[in-house]
Amino acid sequence: MSAPYDGYGQQSPADVAYAGQPQEGFEQAPAPTAPASAADHGKKKKRGYAAQAYDFGAGANSAANPQPAAGAQPYGAYPQPQTPTYPAGYPGQEPQPVAPTYGAAPADVAPQYGAPQPQGQGYGGYPAPDAAYPAPVAGGVSGPGVPGAAGLSQQMAGMNLGPGSQPQAQPGQAARPVALNQLYPTDLLNQPFNVSELDLPPPPIVLPPNSSVTPSPDANCSHRYVRSTLNAVPTTHSLLKKSRLPFSLVIQPYGALHDNDDPVPIIQDQIIARCRRCRTYINPFVTFLDHGHRWRCNMCQLTNDVPQAFDWDAAMQKATDRWARHELNHAVVEFVAPQEYMVRPPQPLVYLFLFDVSYAAVSSGLLATSARTILDSLNRIPNADRRTRLGFIAVDSSLHYFSIPKDDDENGDTNMLVVSDLDEPFLPVPQDLLVSLSESRQSIENFLTKLPAMFQNNQSNGFALGPALRAGHKLISSLGGKMVVLGASLPNLGIGKLDMREDKKLLGTSKESSLLQTSNSFYKSFAVECSKNQVSIDMFLFSSQYQDVASLSNLPRYTGGQTWFYPGWNAGRPEDAIKFASELSDHLSSEIGLEAVLRVRATTGLRMNAFYGNFFNRSSDLCAFPAFPRDQCYVVEVAIDESLTKTVVCLQTAVLHTTCNGERRIRVMTLALPTTTNLADVYASADQQAIATYFSHKAVERALSGGLDAARDSLQNKLIELLQTFRKELAGGSMGGGLQFPSNLRGLPMLFLGLMKNVGLRKSAQIPSDLRSAALCLLSTLPVPLLMQYIYPRLYSLHDMPDNAGTPDPETSQIVLPPPVNLSSERLVSYGLYLIDDGQTQFLWVGRDAVPQLLMDVFGVEDRTQIRVGKGSLPELDNDFNERLRAVIYKSRDHMSKGVGSITLPHLYVVREDGEPSLKLWAQTLLVEDRADQGMSAAQWLGILREKVSQR
Amino acid sequence: MSGEAWLYLFAVLINAVNLFLQVFFTIMYSDLECDYINPIDLCNRLNTYIIPEAAVHAFLTFMFLINGYWVPLILNLPLLAYNAKKYAPPLYIFFLFPPTDSAGAASQLRGQVKADRNLRIIDNTHLLDATEIFRKLNVHKKESFVKLGLHLLFFFFYLYSMIVALIRDDTK
Repeated sequence: MSAPYDGYGQQSPADVAYAGQPQEGFEQAPAPTAPASAADHGKKKKRGYAAQAYDFGAGANSAANPQPAAGAQPYGAYPQPQTPTYPAGYPGQEPQPVAPTYGAAPADVAPQYGAPQPQGQGYGGYPAPDAAYPAPVAGGVSGPGVPGAAGLSQQMAGMNLGPGSQPQAQPGQAARPVALNQLYPTDLLNQPFNVSELDLPPPPIVLPPNSSVTPSPDANCSHRYVRSTLNAVPTTHSLLKKSRLPFSLVIQPYGALHDNDDPVPIIQDQIIARCRRCRTYINPFVTFLDHGHRWRCNMCQLTNDVPQAFDWDAAMQKATDRWARHELNHAVVEFVAPQEYMVRPPQPLVYLFLFDVSYAAVSSGLLATSARTILDSLNRIPNADRRTRLGFIAVDSSLHYFSIPKDDDENGDTNMLVVSDLDEPFLPVPQDLLVSLSESRQSIENFLTKLPAMFQNNQSNGFALGPALRAGHKLISSLGGKMVVLGASLPNLGIGKLDMREDKKLLGTSKESSLLQTSNSFYKSFAVECSKNQVSIDMFLFSSQYQDVASLSNLPRYTGGQTWFYPGWNAGRPEDAIKFASELSDHLSSEIGLEAVLRVRATTGLRMNAFYGNFFNRSSDLCAFPAFPRDQCYVVEVAIDESLTKTVVCLQTAVLHTTCNGERRIRVMTLALPTTTNLADVYASADQQAIATYFSHKAVERALSGGLDAARDSLQNKLIELLQTFRKELAGGSMGGGLQFPSNLRGLPMLFLGLMKNVGLRKSAQIPSDLRSAALCLLSTLPVPLLMQYIYPRLYSLHDMPDNAGTPDPETSQIVLPPPVNLSSERLVSYGLYLIDDGQTQFLWVGRDAVPQLLMDVFGVEDRTQIRVGKGSLPELDNDFNERLRAVIYKSRDHMSKGVGSITLPHLYVVREDGEPSLKLWAQTLLVEDRADQGMSAAQWLGILREKVSQR
Repeated sequence: MSGEAWLYLFAVLINAVNLFLQVFFTIMYSDLECDYINPIDLCNRLNTYIIPEAAVHAFLTFMFLINGYWVPLILNLPLLAYNAKKYAPPLYIFFLFPPTDSAGAASQLRGQVKADRNLRIIDNTHLLDATEIFRKLNVHKKESFVKLGLHLLFFFFYLYSMIVALIRDDTK
């Protein structure tokens, strides 16, 4: 492949059209003319600003453009984002010069590639090249622009996806395994990173044809569920080491909070074919022998018998088509597990709420809001099998139990039982503390309605969380389940008592990291105890003062829960109340799994080395989850122990769990990856988002053990190492002053910069340790799309958004978002309106010179000074622009469209550029490419990298 | 039998105990690696022996000190220092900078140590932590091996010293 660069020089017609536009947009835009153009603001949005709205949003066309010769443009001189440079080099869209080589590959040329197939099985059967082609222009988002003839390897990758993929092998034709993704070095300095590169899917997994037994498009695992940092696996450990890249899987077993939103095929007949030796579940990559009577395991090569009933439909009493079975057609399936997979009958869903009823919680309105929210969410709590049980404990300086009678119990009354012995918490009555939601619905409703009044005048400042947790554990440990802690103060009584240890002087020093560590070992040992008894803990924390999130977050960390932190929360502010109520309600409605274990099996030679995420490692390769959440992801590091001899390796993730409807199930995800002996292939198929996720988990671990400085340094060193390796091994030593990196990893330096500037890791003396700890929890749990947004937030330019932004797309009926812009204040014009969104908070940035018409349309006020800054929401006004704006904000909060489940409802802050400085500074910290306080700008960062790389 | 011979006999016995403990530790760690035992049980089981092991060793070193056997004392000091550092991180600074009245670097350092102690991460860092055990397994294993080797060396040294002492007794 001679000319990796050729693609970049090429200008497609679309570019030519584009090239003329920047000036046009630029000239029209400047502020001084604003008053004049303000008169027809509505028009301006449509035309003046729309001119800027570049062809990017206009369709897949522009996204598909090869390189717009970005090297010629000075960085930042653009008034608007450039068309992505990435797609050009992206293996999915090979530049034309290369394509013919592939084009020739299909039938006749293949033999000359030689290399007989190791498995001796005839390969071939390429689909007709055109069959799987998307129409040139209709590339859309998912197959980001496959221009003209360029998309061949994409199509090859999509082998299984393509409708033309043929099941029958053509006999006698030996082809070499398909060439892997092509490596396209680019220069990070000349071709600045563009944010839209982050929207591209990872480099395609290029499997040899017919590696799966069925031609199903879903035979290989989608990157939504399992992503590998390397989509081409080095065959030896030494090659992996030489590449310096990590090899790990990023696993996100669920794509939504509810099954309905993200259905996977379910195998109901309880026939689970597994390898006798390695216990691998049958999957699309096995091979059948002996006329289909036996199958060979693709992990350990052992030959197994196909179960008798495999081709038999017991319900219909007739033979079925084996090739239609889900487990041979889909990489992600769910088996309904028979008796052997249960250690006890499936447990019911249990929620035990621990309310903080100390003065702080009552006065901030937490108790009332949470009681009200739970009351309103009773219908949403999964209860299909009518076995769901609820329990409530209120905690201040003593424990308050509530015995709730059944509805049909005539003279039953809800009793409050107070236990003030904190050392040996005991259960005052044996029953009625944990009641069935179906049988006691009425009583629970009554109780929740009355609960806030019961503690209305509570003046106690104690919060005996430790004893309460032990009591709660005692109450539900026989069943297992979920404890939801709603706490607004620092636990200050009994076991697990925490001190106010934050000292402002320590922030920003090397001592700071000790504040991020657990101060009381109770929180670790108790978490382990809970994990053993299938009890999971969720923490909702609200304190306005120091609450030691670092210690408390251990409970969720080791029990498969999550920590939610609401600093300075007060129910008096409607935004706060709505945010929490919506999040808690979604959280309760989510169809969690119970009593779950996760294990990853892989082809012989690969070993799961380390696991990251919120769970407890019950043995060296088994992760235990008392409750399996649907909004987290896990990272598993893979080690290569022996040289891999096969062309394809498989990694199978299995999650055995009990659904909240009391059904035992196994979710199996099988990912097949090609192997390579070539370093260039490894780099060309590396997935930058998965790599960033891996290092985010690593950095959190490092920050907790070695401190923040160490974590940041290791990130920087790692990146330098990667750049050096690439430069030395693949870019042919020193190549002038540039900074070479493959096109598919171009975003990595910015993602690392974003990570180092994230609240969790940033060097600063201003960040309270609670906020840091909460951010670290997010950094180690967020699913990939949300994590990417969290470390490299989205910036949308709203005043000049394209015409179709904020309106439903005619084809998908999804709201169209404006194109994202790089996170640099150079991209902010003083008369503009921007949305900065990191998925946890959103900032609506109003420029200094925003024209009155814009303000009128958006906020309904004449003057900038009348805008209510701070936490708020957008007023609903009856005009087109306001409607579109609200649609954009609504859409930006839509987790479903990102393919992840999440309960987060971000706060919207309105920020005026000339308004309150602290708020403005906060918003500016999200502008990752800017120079800030103690962080460097993107240009400085690249400069440092370049210096370090060329030094050694 | 002289006092010296008795002391070395005692040392040999104590050392045998430590040797066995280290073998036990090593076996348990590899059991954990092979999933024969779960991390919770492992930590509970090993944690009961961690302090006795260090205490017994410290006691032996102390015996050498008061009896004035400098060579074995010096041999044992590094291990003692390592254990001391592990069990009470800031403690060793007190040995290095004994309290004096003069306000200076030492007292400043002690102030620092005091602050450190208030911030102490976990109150028992020396114990095994079931949540971290898999991440630190290699470190623990290495430590166990090194200690095993050291104790083995000491064992032969004590045995030799004991025999030398006994022979000297006989020749007298």
